[in-house]
Amino acid sequence: MNRRWCLAASIVLAWPALARAQEGGAARRAFDLERKGSYVEAAEAYRGVLAASPADAAALFGLERTLIAMNRLGEILPQARAALAASPSGGPIHGILLRAWAARGDMDSVRTVAQRWAAIDPDDETPYREWGLAALARRDASEAQRAFLAGRQRLGRPDALAAELAQTAIQQQDWPTALREWLAAVGRVPGYRSSAVATLGQAPDASRAELLRLLQAERGPAPRRLEAELRARWGDAAGGFEALSAALPQNRAAAIEVLVGFLEQIRNQPGPAARRAQAQTLVALADRSAGPQATRFRLEAAQAFADAGDKTAARRLLEGVATDSIAAGSAAGSAAATVVGVLLAEGKPEEAEGKLAGLGRGVTPPERAALARQVAWGWARTGRLGRADTLLANDSTVEGFAVRGRVALLRGDLATASELLTEAGPFAGTREEATARTTLLALIQTIDADSLPALGAALLRLEQGDTAEAMTAIERVADKLPPDGGAAELRLLAGAAARSAGRTADAERLFRAALEPASAASASAAGLALGRLLLETDRAAEAVQVLEQLILAHPESALIPQARRTLDQARGAVPRT
Amino acid sequence: MKRRVFVASSASALLGLGWGVRPAAARRGASWLLVPMDDAQTDHLKAYGLAFRALERGERTEWLLNYRFGSFLLPAGSATTRDASLNGVAVEPVDDGGVLAIRAEIAEGNMDAVPLEKVPKVAVYVPPNTPPWDDAVTMALNYAGMAFEKIWDPDVLQGGLKKYDWLHLHHEDFTGQYSKFYLNYAGAPWLREMVQRNTSTAAALGYATVPEEKKAVARAIGAYVEQGGFLFAMCTATETLDLALASPGVDISAGYADGTPVDPDATNRLAWDHALAFQNARLEPSPTTPVFSDIDGHQVNSLDRRQPLGSFQLFNFSAKIDPVAAMLVQNHRQVIPDFYGLTTSFTRRTLKPSVTVLADEAGAPWVKYIHGDRGQGTWTFFGGHDPEDPQHQIGDLPTDLALHPHSPGYRLILNNVLFPAAKKKELKT
Repeated sequence: MNRRWCLAASIVLAWPALARAQEGGAARRAFDLERKGSYVEAAEAYRGVLAASPADAAALFGLERTLIAMNRLGEILPQARAALAASPSGGPIHGILLRAWAARGDMDSVRTVAQRWAAIDPDDETPYREWGLAALARRDASEAQRAFLAGRQRLGRPDALAAELAQTAIQQQDWPTALREWLAAVGRVPGYRSSAVATLGQAPDASRAELLRLLQAERGPAPRRLEAELRARWGDAAGGFEALSAALPQNRAAAIEVLVGFLEQIRNQPGPAARRAQAQTLVALADRSAGPQATRFRLEAAQAFADAGDKTAARRLLEGVATDSIAAGSAAGSAAATVVGVLLAEGKPEEAEGKLAGLGRGVTPPERAALARQVAWGWARTGRLGRADTLLANDSTVEGFAVRGRVALLRGDLATASELLTEAGPFAGTREEATARTTLLALIQTIDADSLPALGAALLRLEQGDTAEAMTAIERVADKLPPDGGAAELRLLAGAAARSAGRTADAERLFRAALEPASAASASAAGLALGRLLLETDRAAEAVQVLEQLILAHPESALIPQARRTLDQARGAVPRT
Repeated sequence: MKRRVFVASSASALLGLGWGVRPAAARRGASWLLVPMDDAQTDHLKAYGLAFRALERGERTEWLLNYRFGSFLLPAGSATTRDASLNGVAVEPVDDGGVLAIRAEIAEGNMDAVPLEKVPKVAVYVPPNTPPWDDAVTMALNYAGMAFEKIWDPDVLQGGLKKYDWLHLHHEDFTGQYSKFYLNYAGAPWLREMVQRNTSTAAALGYATVPEEKKAVARAIGAYVEQGGFLFAMCTATETLDLALASPGVDISAGYADGTPVDPDATNRLAWDHALAFQNARLEPSPTTPVFSDIDGHQVNSLDRRQPLGSFQLFNFSAKIDPVAAMLVQNHRQVIPDFYGLTTSFTRRTLKPSVTVLADEAGAPWVKYIHGDRGQGTWTFFGGHDPEDPQHQIGDLPTDLALHPHSPGYRLILNNVLFPAAKKKELKT
C-alpha cells in the first residue's frame, strides 16, 4: 500500500517535468524533420507541439518556416490564433498572424492585426513595417506607403520608418522623396548611409541635379557626406571631395575613417579630375596621420597630383618628403626619384640634374644610375644630345646601352643605334620597353644608309610631341628611300604618328602607301594598321575587305592572329574591347 | 648585310614580317578537306561555322561522329579553303584514297558518318535591343559566323516559329517574374526597362499580366516542339519553360508580377504531363529568393542552399545506334568544368524517366545536359549561363570567344545548332 502511494505521489510530482521532456522531444523531432526537408511531417510535428502548448514561440516559428517552404503559410492561421489567445500580448505571434493573413491575400485583416499589435506596444515600428512589407510583396506600393505613414503618425517621430518609406519612394521613382527619407533614416541610424548611397546612386541622370540641389540645401555633416559619396558614385570625384572637406569631423580617427571610405570609392576613377581628388584626399589623410604612414600617403598623393597634371603640387609634396628627417631612407629615395621624374616631365632636365647631384645617401648607386639615365634621356628630348652622351658615358649596363642607342638614333646615326640597341637586347627595362626597342631595330635595319640625320631630327620631333611635324618629316625621308629600303616602314611609322595625332585621312593615306607590294614584309603590318584605323572610324565593311586581303595574301605573317582578331571585331563576331 | 639577316629573323616578327611553314591545306590535288576536331584543330568553334557555310553553299558535308572527336568532311574547293584561311580553321587535304581509309576506320569502330544536308534556319529568342554579349548561344553563333534571326514574344504568339528549324532560348523567365530580381534589384535601370518592356508587350498582345503572356509563349514553344521543331535551351529558360508549361490555370508567380499571391497549393497543382523534361518539383515560395524551384541542383542565389561548382562528364553513345545523342556530345574533352547560371543543373529526382542524360556530375544528385523528344520534335536543355564565365555576375564584361576558341562547353552549344542539319535517319534515342 505504501509503495502505491509512493508511486502515485512521485508520478504527480514528476508529471510536469515529464511533460516538458516529452514536448522537448517532440520539438526536437519536428526540427530534425524540418532540417531533413521533410516539411509535411515537420509541420505535423510542430502542430503536435502547439496542440499541447499553443504559445510555444519556437514551435510556432518552426511551423511558419516549414509552411513557407511548402508555400502554404496561410494554413498557420488556426495555430497563430490559438497562440494569440494563449498569449495576447505576444508581438512575434502578431507578426506570424499578420504574415498568415498576407499569405491568404486578406489585406484588411493584415491591417487589423497590425493595428492591434501596435496598440500593445505603441512605440514599436515593427507592426507597421510588417504591414507595409506585406503590401510591397503584393506590389501595392500605395498601401505600403499608407502603412508606413500611419506608423510614423502614430509613433509621432518624423524619422520613423524612414528607410522603408525611402525604398517605397524609389519603387515609385520618386527620387526627391526617397532622398528626404534617407536623410531622416541616416540621421537616426548612420549605418543606413551605405544603403542610401547604393539606392540613390541608381537615380537616372535626369534626376541627379535636383537631388544634389536638395542635398545642398540641407545643413550638417550627414547631408554633406551623402552628397560627397553620391557625387563620387556619379563620376564627380572633385565635387565629392569639396562636399566632404566641408564636413570632416574634428575627431582625427573619425575623419580618417570618413576619408578612407571616400578614397576607396574614388580610387579607381580615371581622369585628371578624379586623380586630383584622390590626391587631395590623400593629403588630407596624411595631415591626420603620423610617421611612415603619413609619408606613404604623401608619396601616393604626389603621384596622383603628377598624374593629374599638377606637377607643382606633386613636386612640393615630394620635396617635403625628400627632406623629411622622419621619412625612412627608402621613402626619401622614392620621393627624390619622383621629384626627378616630375622635373623631367616638366621639361626641366637642368633642374633634375641639379636635384640628382644633391641627393644624399638615401639613394643607392643603382637608383642613382637609373635617375642619371632618366636625366640623360630628358636632355636628349630637348635636343641636347651631347649632354645626354656625357651623362651616359660611364654607363655600361644594358639599360645604358638602350638609352645610348636611342640617343644615337635621334642623331640619325643608324649604324651606332643599331649596334647599341642590339647589345641592349631583350634584357633592359620592362617588356614594353624591350618590345619598343626591337620595333625600332626592325625599322632602322631595313634602311641601307648608316646615317640619316633628317630621320633623327624627325624622330626627335616625335619624342617632343610634335607629331604633325614629325609625320611630315618622316614622310619626306621615306620619299627619298627605295620602296624596299625602308620607305614602307617609315610610311607606316608616319601613319602611326598621324593616327595618334588624330589625322586619320593622313594616316589612311600613309598606311595605304605602305601596302606597296615592293615591300611585302611591311605590307601585312600596314594592312593591319589600316584595318584597325578603318574599324575605329566606323568603316567596318572596308576594314573587313582590307583584313581579308591581308590574311589571304600573307597567310604566314606573324600578324595573322591579330588580323583575324580585328576581322572578328569588324564582323561583330566578338565584342570590341 | 648583317642587318638584313636580322630583319629576316627576330625583329620581323614584330612588324609582321615572319614567315612560317605553309600549311598542308594549301597543297593541291586533294578532293576533300578534313576538318579535324581533335587537338590538331586551331579553332574548334569556327570549324562549326565553316561546315555551316559549306552547307549554305550547297556543298555535301559530312559529320564524322567520334572520328577524331567529331570531325567534318567537306569537298575541297576554293571557297572552303578561303573560308578556312580567313577564319583560322585547320583543314587537312584528303584524296579519295584517304577518304576510303577514313570510311573503313569509321565502319570498324564506334563511329559513323552523318551527312549534313539542310541548312537549319535558326531563331534565337531574345528581347529586342538586348546587347548580343549576354547570351552564350548568340555569342557562339556570332563567333562561328552562323546566320540566325532574333525573335520575341509577338513573333512567337503570331505563329512565327513555323519558319524556323531550330529555336534557342536563354535566360528568359517564362514564369513572368523577371528572374525573381524584382525586389532585390528594385530601382535598377535595367530592371525597370525589363519590366516596362514586358508589361507593355503583354498589354499590346492582350494579356492582363506578364505571367499570363509568358505562359502563352511557353505553350507556343511547346507546340513548336510537338510539331517537329528543335529546341535548345540554357540557364533559366530550361526550368521556367517547364514550370510555365506545367502550370495551366495555376498562379505560380509572386504578387509583384501579377498582383496576386502565389497559389498556396501551387506545387501540388502542377500538371507535369505538360512539361518537357521535369516532374514533381517543388516551387520556391519566397519572392525575394531568385530561385524558381528545386529542379536546379545548385541553387546559386540561395544563401543556404548554394552548391559549389564541380565538373561534368559527357556520356558516350553509340554513333551507329544513337546518332542523335552521339552528335550532341561530340567533343575533344570528356570532363568539363561546370559553370553557374540562374539554373545551373537539373536534380535527378525531378527528371522524367524518358529523359536522356547527356552529361552529369559523377556522384552528385544533379545532371547538366539532357535531351528528349516531344511529338515530332526534340528538345535539349543545358544548365548554366556561360561555359567560359563560371561565376557570371550581372554587369560582368562580355566573354570574348576569340580567347576561348577551343571551349568544350561552347562546342556542346554548336553541336546543337548543326544537329538539325543532319539527314534524318531512324533515330533510336
